[in-house]
Amino acid sequence: MVFISLAVVLLASISLISALDIRGSVLWNDLCPDYDTLGATRVILDAGKQYGSITRNGNFSIPDVAPGTYVLSVLAHDFVFEQMRVDVSDSESIPEVRSYIFGTPLTSHSAVKLSYPVVLTPRHKNKYFMPRESFNLLGMFQNPMMMIMVLTGVMMLGMPYIMKNLDPQTLEELQGRQAKVASIQSSMQSGDFKSGLSALLAAEDEPKTALASARSPNSTTPQQRKTGKGSRRR
Amino acid sequence: MRCLRQLFLASLWCATSWALHESDVGVVDWHSKLIGVPLHGSIHIAPIFHDDLVLTATSNNVLAALNTSDGAIVWRSIYEAADPIMLFKIHGNTVTSLSGPGGATLRAFDIPTGHLLLEKRLHNPLNGRLHEPSNLGTSVIHLERGQDDAPRVLALTNGDTIRSINSVTGETEWTWNSPDQGSLIMYSQVIVDHSTVYGIGLAKSVASYTLHVTALSISSGEVTASVNIPANIADGLSDFLGVSAGSGSAVTPCIAWLEQGAIKAALLKPDLKGQIMAIPALKYKSIVDVGLTRNGQFMAVKDDGAAQVLHLDAQTSSLRPIWEFAGSTPSKAQSESIFMGSLDANGEPRIARVYWSNAHNKAVHQTFAAQLAEGKGSTSGFTFPFETQVHGVFSQIAFDGVSTGKGNSSTRMLLTTTTGAVQLWQHDKMLWVREEALATIQVAEFVELPEKKIIGSHVGLEEETFLERITRQFSDAKNLPQYLLSFATRFATGSYATVSASAASSEDTLSRDAFGFRQVIVAATSHGKIFGIDSSNGKVMWSRVLGLGWAKKVGGTIVPVKMFVTRTVSDGETPQVMLVVQRRATNSLVDTVLFHIDALTGADARQDAPPTVGDILEGVDVISGPLIDAFMLPTANKTLAFLDEFLQVRLYPDTAASLAEFETLAPSLHFALRAGSAGQRQILGHQVTLSPDLSQFYVAYPTWSITLLAGEEIIALIPNTRGDVASVGKVLGNRSTLYKYLNPHLTAVLTSTLADSPPTCSVYLVDGVKGSIVYHASLPAAEGKCDVQAALTENWLVYQYFDDEYAGVGQSKGHHVVSVELYEGRGADEKTRSSDITSYSNKTLELNVYEQTYVMPHGITALAPTSTKFGVTTKDIIVSSRKNSVQSIPRRLLNPRRPKQKPTTEEMEEMLVQYDAVLPDDPRLILSHNYEVANVRRIVTSPSLLESTSLVFAYGLDLFFTRVAPSSTFDVLSENFNKAQLVLTVGGLVIAIMVTKPMVAKKRLKERWYQ
Repeated sequence: MVFISLAVVLLASISLISALDIRGSVLWNDLCPDYDTLGATRVILDAGKQYGSITRNGNFSIPDVAPGTYVLSVLAHDFVFEQMRVDVSDSESIPEVRSYIFGTPLTSHSAVKLSYPVVLTPRHKNKYFMPRESFNLLGMFQNPMMMIMVLTGVMMLGMPYIMKNLDPQTLEELQGRQAKVASIQSSMQSGDFKSGLSALLAAEDEPKTALASARSPNSTTPQQRKTGKGSRRR
Repeated sequence: MRCLRQLFLASLWCATSWALHESDVGVVDWHSKLIGVPLHGSIHIAPIFHDDLVLTATSNNVLAALNTSDGAIVWRSIYEAADPIMLFKIHGNTVTSLSGPGGATLRAFDIPTGHLLLEKRLHNPLNGRLHEPSNLGTSVIHLERGQDDAPRVLALTNGDTIRSINSVTGETEWTWNSPDQGSLIMYSQVIVDHSTVYGIGLAKSVASYTLHVTALSISSGEVTASVNIPANIADGLSDFLGVSAGSGSAVTPCIAWLEQGAIKAALLKPDLKGQIMAIPALKYKSIVDVGLTRNGQFMAVKDDGAAQVLHLDAQTSSLRPIWEFAGSTPSKAQSESIFMGSLDANGEPRIARVYWSNAHNKAVHQTFAAQLAEGKGSTSGFTFPFETQVHGVFSQIAFDGVSTGKGNSSTRMLLTTTTGAVQLWQHDKMLWVREEALATIQVAEFVELPEKKIIGSHVGLEEETFLERITRQFSDAKNLPQYLLSFATRFATGSYATVSASAASSEDTLSRDAFGFRQVIVAATSHGKIFGIDSSNGKVMWSRVLGLGWAKKVGGTIVPVKMFVTRTVSDGETPQVMLVVQRRATNSLVDTVLFHIDALTGADARQDAPPTVGDILEGVDVISGPLIDAFMLPTANKTLAFLDEFLQVRLYPDTAASLAEFETLAPSLHFALRAGSAGQRQILGHQVTLSPDLSQFYVAYPTWSITLLAGEEIIALIPNTRGDVASVGKVLGNRSTLYKYLNPHLTAVLTSTLADSPPTCSVYLVDGVKGSIVYHASLPAAEGKCDVQAALTENWLVYQYFDDEYAGVGQSKGHHVVSVELYEGRGADEKTRSSDITSYSNKTLELNVYEQTYVMPHGITALAPTSTKFGVTTKDIIVSSRKNSVQSIPRRLLNPRRPKQKPTTEEMEEMLVQYDAVLPDDPRLILSHNYEVANVRRIVTSPSLLESTSLVFAYGLDLFFTRVAPSSTFDVLSENFNKAQLVLTVGGLVIAIMVTKPMVAKKRLKERWYQ
């Protein structure tokens, strides 16, 4: 503890003797081409007791910085700049500038060393607003609910024609199946579980019988058709 | 990685919150940009005209340029609080300022654009000497361009150093330091001629001051001569002036001083040899610089109070009085005159004199122009209707000499008044006024507006004849067509009241809008003026000057302390506020005064109010002495209780009913007060009792004390923000409940211990009844100051500080935001009924604390939680950042129960997101968007009629108002609701039915035929 306070006193005395100005400039780019766009901007160290303002030509200077490790950040109203880590060792050697990713430990040494004087690059411009959602007919039909609705409508309209073009046999089969399902449903709904269950069981049996029954008519249909055709021919 | 995180957070935020659209700008929010009240007291800091602009430095530490035609801010430069503006000087299109202790920093701005051209540190502010007045020992002179054409500026700083600086590159060409480092001679003025710089300093001799002049070469800074003038100056600071006359190489510099009632002068030559002249036969009181010293003119006040203009003639090298303003001796018929000089279009000096004439009840303006060729001068004058009842007394003028021509009809001047108004007058017309007192708001409250009244004329219905009734009904029905029309348009276009619509109404009547967004913000400023601001558009609806009462005769200032809304719309009748102020009279007497105000009109709301004169509002002296604390009793009458310095309780209104109310409440009243001497502070808990032998009033006595560490100072006591608590618990994902610790007596205390090494700051949560410390955190004091902001609501404490101990655990320097939540018991499902149990129960300290720390990229100047009508909506934290913006931090991100690992399904059910130390710097969270809201000191939130929406008002230098919906506007139809889609879908279905109906009918028919 004593040592620390001693160190603090020492550091303070050093800071009175050796201090240096941190200099740098803003690199104007397409995002922020000039001072007018940037507005009055301050470059601060740590919490902002030490700072420098950016002048019209883009330069800044933070005067009398004592040795230490600092986080340099830019207080620009509309633009985002990266924060940097600046190590000042003494007034003779130039300060070391490193990239600093906000929220990461400050003392990691892997950070990339940057050039000095500090170069500040506007990274992006703040976009404060959300675009208002406008009505979009195409977007509306891209909605899955909408697509299902449209499909059902098409099916509803198209069903009779499909039915018409369908094989009478398959039709019959379909109708039979439909009727069965309907009967199960109705019995279930009416609370008659027993009959519903039996119907279900019957439905389980049904494929076989249906298959069997389907096979016998199936074997006959070609003949019937043939005869039909034949009779017409006759 | 960072992008990903931001993307994630952005998507998370999009899903939950409410967004600002570009079309909402200026509709849901407003912003008023201010500069502060212009500084006065020194000619070097006074406002000055420059072409179409007027430049001014203000008490809010802003250097600004206003447009003279409409008063708009052309540009402003905000200085740090530790860097006060000392002076500014105009030269050509550049304005140069010195700021900081002793003039530590030199800045140059381009006048038309406000661009910063140069910033140069001249010395470390820590080495700056503090003088009274603070700008003593600093001076700036722009030099004419020399042979090398480099514009140069001479700067005198700290009273001992003169520098010549290239004002383009900022390079110092030479520096001259006073040999004694300012210990004996304090240099305070600099004058120049074509070859020499004369530094004029004041040296302390045995009984009085003498003058010391040092001559330096203008090109090299070498001392050419130095002389001590045996002037016998009594006052020292203001009794001498450096004056120069002429131009080019024929500049005649001279110093003039006041020596025992006589004005003496000495011409300065490079070798500093010469004679002392005296103006004989006249006795003077003081000499006054009116800003024309470089044009050879200044003013002197004679012994009898008459003001004279003195002129230094360059040809004859003589100093003599050329004009005496008639009637400038002090009298009862007029106020003291204010003088200000300026140059006219030809560069000739003009002096304006402005005073208030009691005889005419008007302000009088006179312009003096010297006709030197004839050896005399002339004045021309006019009166102008200054409203002294509305704007107080003028404290300073700036005068545009260029506007003076043949007549007075275009003479322009800028008036600064004691109420903080800045007015531009052209002849007798006021072109514009800026209420800059609004930059000094001390307390502000929202007051709800009443509903629009429907006035019926149903009086005397019994004896009404048929005809009368018919006419009455017809007259009542006159609004029917309008109503029908509006109904029809509303039905057809669907233009209902929406949340994104402006709350401002076109009508003049004061009534609230559909959702209660329109309220009155009552704001009291430190310039003795109170304002009622319409929250829908930021316009000042009414303003009143606070009267000084008996202190009017001696003068004084009013410091607003607290404001209470004593009657709201729900109580019926008009809403009222009470403003408690401390009045400091110039004779050092302090009184506590209460102003009882109708919030809608600003009228005096006292029943026995005396008739008011003009705009001045008189208050009631409740305590003849300083105030310790004031609070409102939670009773129906809304009685105010005041504690005077003897801890006696005074009531307002002081009636039997309010006393009876107080008697019933007295046993349950507890409050914490600061106590103790510097270095040994205490927080004392108090209760009240009545002891007739001590005092006729209730007297507070201490019940508990918390003794702070030696040297620990209390910065602030922050009471819990009162509001409805919608739920007392938080149901977790596993169906257990955490019950909120809702102790109503919880108070947050911020302290600083700067004497320690290392210096620390502390945050305490104290139970106000028995003084137990519920929560305590010790924080580092970064950069030697405690810049801690805190907000306490329900069971949630949020505070922010800067952590500079990067070598420790955190390994990062940065602004930390700590979110602390208190829950009852030791774990889930434990309940102590903290909101209801007696404070003496042992269970009040059974609580568990959840806390998490987050880092923010930028510092915070103020923070406040949102507040809504019933407290159902989640509370976001509104913060104002050092980037001059106001933003919200969603509660979801500040939840102290965010899991450190990937959230489990139970935690997902609670909508918890994984902990991430970084709070996103998402620009869409910035409520103030493009507006620059500078130096916010406080944020006030208020509920609206919509549960989802909270009103936010931030004040400091600028004013900013907006509304936020932390859980999005769930109680109104969404703005995104797609009316067209609904209509199209219904329409589509109708068409489908129309198409299918004949088909079905055809099919049915077919079935009938073929079955």
